[in-house]
Amino acid sequence: MATLAVWPWVAPRYFVFLASVVLVNAIVAIGLNLLSGYTNQLSFGHAGFLAIGAYTAAVLTLRAPALPVIVTLVLAGLLTAAVGLAFGVPCLRLGGLYLTMATLAFGFVITEAILNLDTLTRGADGLRVPSARLGALVLSTDIARYYLVAAVTAVMVAAAVNLVRTRTGRAFLALRESEIAAEASGVPVATYRALAFGLSAFYTGVAGGLFAFVVGFLSPDAFDVFLSVDFVVMIIVGGLGSVPGSIIGATVVTLLHDGLAAFQNYRPLIFGALLIASMLFMPGGMTRALGRLARR
Amino acid sequence: MTTAGLIHVVVSGLATGSIYALMALSLVIIYNATRTLNFAQGEMLMVSTFVGWAAQRVFGLPLALTLLVAVLAAGIMAWLVECLIIRRSIGATHWDVLIITLGLSLMLRAGAGLVWTHDEFPFPSFFATRPVTLGPVRLAPVSLGIIGASLALMAALYALFAWTKLGRAMRAVAQNQRAARLMGISVERVYSRAWILAAVVGAVAGVLVAPVVFLSSKMGLIVINGFTAAVIGGFGSMPGAVLGGMLLGVIENLAPLYLPSGIRYSVPFLVLIAILLVRPAGLLGRVEQRKV
Repeated sequence: MATLAVWPWVAPRYFVFLASVVLVNAIVAIGLNLLSGYTNQLSFGHAGFLAIGAYTAAVLTLRAPALPVIVTLVLAGLLTAAVGLAFGVPCLRLGGLYLTMATLAFGFVITEAILNLDTLTRGADGLRVPSARLGALVLSTDIARYYLVAAVTAVMVAAAVNLVRTRTGRAFLALRESEIAAEASGVPVATYRALAFGLSAFYTGVAGGLFAFVVGFLSPDAFDVFLSVDFVVMIIVGGLGSVPGSIIGATVVTLLHDGLAAFQNYRPLIFGALLIASMLFMPGGMTRALGRLARR
Repeated sequence: MTTAGLIHVVVSGLATGSIYALMALSLVIIYNATRTLNFAQGEMLMVSTFVGWAAQRVFGLPLALTLLVAVLAAGIMAWLVECLIIRRSIGATHWDVLIITLGLSLMLRAGAGLVWTHDEFPFPSFFATRPVTLGPVRLAPVSLGIIGASLALMAALYALFAWTKLGRAMRAVAQNQRAARLMGISVERVYSRAWILAAVVGAVAGVLVAPVVFLSSKMGLIVINGFTAAVIGGFGSMPGAVLGGMLLGVIENLAPLYLPSGIRYSVPFLVLIAILLVRPAGLLGRVEQRKV
């Protein structure tokens, strides 16, 4: 926590920006993990949810500049959750690979929708996002944006960690252990699966809003299927169904992408090799590997 | 649109669809045997086609031998991948293996880019591209050739699964792995044979489609169409994969004629979602019974 608080004062400017990106990705990973970790279903469409949150925040800030950034972020999260539910509820009947395919399709449809709604989104030209405002405060520096992201992340992480202590959280845990046993014990499986979808979309939508402010420029091709795949990589490499795992995975994958940028054409080669190696030597993700190490 | 024009569009849709169907079949063959979704299937197709093309350029091979080289390269690559990487991921879950195949696909695409650059190259075809006229209908021989060759390969696959010992073993493993092992089937052998078979089907698809779409490192993205096709048909069902592929190809070719260009790329995915809402396990798939 302390490191997070003083980071902007000790790190160079670029690394402040990078830390913001890491935290945004961590929120998405936690959100995706709520869905995948608890209901055992992968989504390859979370870049789509991120896009909805990002464009909502950007358009709101453009049209209503006086809105405090917190309200903007909550609205971005809620709208994304609404879309998530509208898409997720009809998909409740789908299992395993079918849901995965449907989410993949969702991602493609969202990118194309952004291109077509060009009166709002400016389509392929891209959309410049104005600075976020908090009352009279204009968050126009990397450091200010970093603190916004860090504060929101802290709230989202705390909520996710405490979720397991609520009735909903216990229902999610029951679902994760065995859907059939949960159903037999009176847990309304469909309701909670829908809830997991909505909650996951909410997290990703809020992260999308932050993403818009941190990056400052949105274009549909930033939200392609490869980004969705990256999110899946984060939670599997980090550890499914674990909040620390989501954060570790998001950090490792984001920093790797950034660190390997210098290798240009060799980057995917190295990244791919690392993915294979990590799964061969750390099956079940890094949190489980760390747990094994601690027990030794 | 005239009927003749419509037939032309549908036939070229069926040709594209045959390729998707072959891709879907490769995915289903591996999935049925090993319960793994092989993300790298498209990249394996791309690399084996490139190997065939490189051999043809160096040795001036006739096209039939080029196909043979591509098929051999695919088989060897799949065999290596299976026994060097996949088999070692013993403690891994299916999702871990998914990430492994994803890593593999990144490596293959980047590797192909380093060896052969990311440019597009023309690829020789077995079939002429100049359209032939049958009464009022104009058809491209290349479309008919792709459809014919794909159907022949599908028939061969059907024969393999229906009548050979390996095919029976693969079907047994798909149904119940433990029972298959108890009946004396070497499940490990079935795993590696499934990888090789899938890669070979992919290589044939690659050589068939490369003349139409040009040979490039981007070709591997066809795995997404293959996956879509397999899901439309019902994942795990081989007739479903063929049906799904053909349907997807025809829809993709027909959609631009009737719909505004803004949504043409979304159409296959919207159709997919619509189909899944009505038939949650695809057209020919069966809803898996849950056992306690």
